Amino acid sequence: MRKLLLLISILSFCQRIVAQDFDYGKCDAADVAMKKYDKDTSAHAVVLREFGKAWVSTNDGVPLIYEYHIKIKLFDSKAFRHGDVSIPLYIGDNDHFEKAYDIEGVTFYTDDNGATQRIDLDKNKIYHEKISNHYERLKFALPNLRPGCIIEYRYKTESPYHFNFHKWVFQWDIPKIYSEYEAHIPAIYEYNVSKRGVLALTTNKAELESECFSYYGTKCDCSKLTYGIKDIPAFIEEDDMTSPDNYISAIYFELAQMTNSRGVKEKITKEWSDIDRELKQNEDFGDQYKRKGLFKERLIPVLANLTDSLDKAKAVYRYIQNSFKWNRMYNAFSDDGIRKALESHTGSSADINLSLIAALSAAGINTEAVILSSRDNGFVNKLYPGVSNFDYVIAKVNIDNKSYLLDATDPLLGFGMLPLRCINDQGRVMSLNKPSYWIDMVSPQKRSTTMNLDLTLQDNGKIKGTITTYSLGYAAYEKRRAIKKFNSVDEYVENLGEKDSKFKILKSEITDLDSLDKPVTEKYEVEIDAYNNLNHENISFNPAFWDHTSVNPFKLNERSYPVDLGSASEDKMVVTLHYPANFEITAQPAAVAIALPIKGGRFLTDINIADNTLSYSQIEQFNKAIYSPEEYPYLKEFFNKMIQNQKANVVFHKKAN
Amino acid sequence: MRYLYIFLLTIAVSHVTLAQQAYDAASIPKELLPHASSVIRANDVTVEVKSLNDVIYHTRLIVTVLNKNGDDDAEIAIYYNKTSQLKSFRGIAYNEFGKPVGKIAERDLQDRNVVDGFSLFNDDRVKTFKPAITTYPYTVEYDYDTNEKQTLFFADWHPGQGVGTSVEHSSYKLLCKPDFNIRYKQINFSGNVATNEAKDLKTYEWSISNLKALRSEPYSPDQDLLLTSVRIAPEKFEYENISGSFTNWKEYGSFIYNKLVKDRQKLSPETEAAIKDLVKDISDPKLKAKRIYEYVQQKTRYVSVQIGVGGYRPFLASEVDQLSYGDCKALVNYTQSLLNVAGIQSYYVLNMAGSEKVSALPDFASMNQFDHVILCMPFKNDTTWVDCTSKENPFGYLGDFTDDRLVVACTPEGGILLRTPKYTTADNTQLRKGTFTLTSTGELRGDMHTEFRGAQYDNRYYMINETFTEQVKKLKELYPVENLEIQSLQLKQDKSLKPVTTEDIKISARDYVAQNGGRFFFYPNTANRSNHVPKNVTNRVNPVYINRGYLDEDQITYSLPDGYSITSKPIKINLDKPFGKYAVSMSIVGNKLIYKRSLQINDGTYDKDMYADLVDFYQTVYDGDNYTLTMEKK
Repeated sequence: MRKLLLLISILSFCQRIVAQDFDYGKCDAADVAMKKYDKDTSAHAVVLREFGKAWVSTNDGVPLIYEYHIKIKLFDSKAFRHGDVSIPLYIGDNDHFEKAYDIEGVTFYTDDNGATQRIDLDKNKIYHEKISNHYERLKFALPNLRPGCIIEYRYKTESPYHFNFHKWVFQWDIPKIYSEYEAHIPAIYEYNVSKRGVLALTTNKAELESECFSYYGTKCDCSKLTYGIKDIPAFIEEDDMTSPDNYISAIYFELAQMTNSRGVKEKITKEWSDIDRELKQNEDFGDQYKRKGLFKERLIPVLANLTDSLDKAKAVYRYIQNSFKWNRMYNAFSDDGIRKALESHTGSSADINLSLIAALSAAGINTEAVILSSRDNGFVNKLYPGVSNFDYVIAKVNIDNKSYLLDATDPLLGFGMLPLRCINDQGRVMSLNKPSYWIDMVSPQKRSTTMNLDLTLQDNGKIKGTITTYSLGYAAYEKRRAIKKFNSVDEYVENLGEKDSKFKILKSEITDLDSLDKPVTEKYEVEIDAYNNLNHENISFNPAFWDHTSVNPFKLNERSYPVDLGSASEDKMVVTLHYPANFEITAQPAAVAIALPIKGGRFLTDINIADNTLSYSQIEQFNKAIYSPEEYPYLKEFFNKMIQNQKANVVFHKKAN
Repeated sequence: MRYLYIFLLTIAVSHVTLAQQAYDAASIPKELLPHASSVIRANDVTVEVKSLNDVIYHTRLIVTVLNKNGDDDAEIAIYYNKTSQLKSFRGIAYNEFGKPVGKIAERDLQDRNVVDGFSLFNDDRVKTFKPAITTYPYTVEYDYDTNEKQTLFFADWHPGQGVGTSVEHSSYKLLCKPDFNIRYKQINFSGNVATNEAKDLKTYEWSISNLKALRSEPYSPDQDLLLTSVRIAPEKFEYENISGSFTNWKEYGSFIYNKLVKDRQKLSPETEAAIKDLVKDISDPKLKAKRIYEYVQQKTRYVSVQIGVGGYRPFLASEVDQLSYGDCKALVNYTQSLLNVAGIQSYYVLNMAGSEKVSALPDFASMNQFDHVILCMPFKNDTTWVDCTSKENPFGYLGDFTDDRLVVACTPEGGILLRTPKYTTADNTQLRKGTFTLTSTGELRGDMHTEFRGAQYDNRYYMINETFTEQVKKLKELYPVENLEIQSLQLKQDKSLKPVTTEDIKISARDYVAQNGGRFFFYPNTANRSNHVPKNVTNRVNPVYINRGYLDEDQITYSLPDGYSITSKPIKINLDKPFGKYAVSMSIVGNKLIYKRSLQINDGTYDKDMYADLVDFYQTVYDGDNYTLTMEKK
């Protein structure tokens, strides 16, 4: 990821150039006539031109002004969704809110007589939608869309949030011919600028605008930064990929420093040491996880009779897991403090895990906070110290030189197990008494299952026996979730028995369902209606019938971005089948061993026959959670080979009497 | 004195016990527990009609949640808009023993806009609350009043029984002045309405107790046909500035046509002239209508904006003409206006859309039975239907969105109850022929030709206008052929009155034949393998319902590689049941293997006891479709 980020210096200035916005309401005959976009003939639409400009007004409150202007060619009706426009606005309170104004839109289309017509957006048909207390949206639909039409619209927004300088996303799911962004930043502000994605800037200028801004009577200069990219291909999302934001070409701004009204420079983005100190004092972070007092009494019954630190930590973790219902909000900072969260039994990931940290500390356990960026939020920008990239916080417990990462948002997670949403890039450990540091967000756990099938083929054609499954790590977590979807274990088993009409569960036993640190064990006594009778000369049996892959999840020939399988995994199966003495095996699958390069994974089978007993074993291993695009063809072929081999059967032949 | 004191104490204590009992989880009748994750202890609605534009709903809802799966049932959602306002709200949470553990106030409700998933904008909002209680069971009680400034539609009574939810008690009471009349229809309700009429107050009351939690049963009819409900409609009503009355579908149709549609059809003289010009060379009225429908399809697109009465009244036709967009009402009204210019009669038709067929109640007219509008043209002996929100449908084609259900046409002469056309089993065909070669390296190569008709006409809808790359991606997901490569693809749609979609593809797939230890395995069924068997349901309650029938036929011919022969048994299945037929056969002629498969499913409602047969049927289909042949070198 570090490679993809590019530091853009804003210190070198060159000469002033005129503004690059394009004329509104004019359209080129060539654009009207365009039948398809030559550089991507499969595109349903192409952005002809896009321009944005962000600057700081000298009006009251020196608001950030953002001007946006776009012109899009729509080739067919599949692209008409681009004619429905929505402008999101954030509403802090009555005094601090974003607003949009000067909205204009126009459609150019060819009428039935072949003449180019224009129709303007009716301002009365702009709808104001209040989504919730803090979010609003202006929405409008451009009129008269026809295949081949061109739509154009522009608007301005005003925002009091200087720390939230508008980012610019170059890459969309449709191609763009040219997109340009102009940021005018008065010298009293300093932003760190970073770029993501692989597309190179074709325009990258930094110029000086003298005395462009006045602030409390003092004039100051601005830097005018211009970023542009020509011929931007569409971004095509792939299945099983990590957050698209990691790869989409875009420019991000983070407020680093500003000069206040007294002329004093205030550092916003700082060294980690500054951030460490600040976070410790932060009322939504450090102040919260220091609130040990809240837990002193609450923990008395939880810790009763416990002396061992690890036992105590486990008890506290269970207690917090069961005290909260997560509201599904991701956050690294508490909203209204953990006291309120505790009382209402609900809160964000921050409310819950800051409570966990405070409670563990109250129990005398060495605990640190780890801030991280969740998987959907993308990788962390490590070029500049800062916290705006993080959207999640968890606990790190250190006991006897071992550390455990804990997230209490999900009551089904075992001790030391993280949900997959936390397994992303690196997290920053914020300790009370040490400087902060990075750790890799990897899980020590994988998805693993072991299955033992001990079966007997009976004279009536039915197969009878026991199937035992041990689910560990993420597999145990998933199994517990699946079982808990039912009102009782009995209902789960009943449903399992109903899933397959050939399969009857005679007896069942599920153990350690609620012992989260142990594997879940399922033991079923089963009867399988395999054959109507055994009056056949040959009977075919697939030894992998219970657990086989029949569809390759990877169908495309090429891959641009890494494949994210979630976690490493291991599945083992041993099938033992006793068969009647009057049968012999005349054909059987050959044993196979296939592997992925660089120990990425393997698939092994083995088969043995002795004393009228067939033993088949199978191991399927994926040693990594994420595979690079270069490994993709191997991964795809690995699945292909696995599927091929699992089709092979055993043929039982009835011996002549 | 002492005795009296004890007596008073006993009363006080027993009163407390009684009050708590309603919230105490242990007091739930045992028969309500199986398959329940929540129990509605009480769901009592009282409706007070004060005047035609002032109705108070008082709702008291008590729900006990037994485990995590019932959490959603304790969530409350109170919808509101300009004509419907929340007046008061209070809530209390109780623990397992019925002891209050927390209060819920109106300020605890979250307020947000209603996202219907298809509108650019609508003015409906909702206030929601979901309790966060981590110990089970728990109980919540909500008590709230809403004020409706309209009488056009009333909330129907649905006690709340559902999958995973049982109901201990539910009631619905309506109070009104003697001169206010309602009509009602009781569905699956064996009790009687209790009515009472005093000098200045009339009441109706329905109540029910002990409804068991349902299990999800595949192939069940529409739940509304199985569960208890009472539908309520007024005889006279007001909504915003519109007043009216109806007691049957005929009067309903008049109301809709005269009050909401008739005055919204004026077009500019230019548009009228353009339409006359558009059809001037066509004499057949049906072909005229086709031309106009296709004109609307290419000119307009679907954009939904619902504000106040705009949820029931279409945009002006002139506005759609100018903006080229609108919702279903607006686009039907616009098309109808254009047809009027050409002198073609048509109906504005209200219906409930969706693949599951839901009909209007034939004997009970009310406002809240529909969510969509289509257009009907009553040509002599040739009634023709169109959906004006589709940019792709052939003229006269409804597809599975609005087929075979009772709908109401709103005409100047009043409402007419009609049934939309049915796509029969014989209509809904997918006929396929494939010719393939299997090479000695295990590769499959060849051509496949498929025709889709009736409700299956739309089977390729989602890829028809896509680019080749996108189509290939989708076909790879669709066909169960590993390592599928598509050399060429042609998708054609014949949009005539008997529409057909045709797919021609040339494909190859390496390793189609799997090799292991000198033996070779492959599926003779290349492209149409069933991958699902419905689950067994013991003690089934609902009849078996098949919503739509179809017929799939596949005939695949393989040329086998030289020197190889099939060593496994040829497959032959012939299954004939009331709900369907399945036949598979295989023959080998020289080096040619001919595989034939046909699966026919008949729509209809069948006895619940037939469900086990249906599961067996699909199991046979599954096994037959996934039959693997073994090939060996001679």
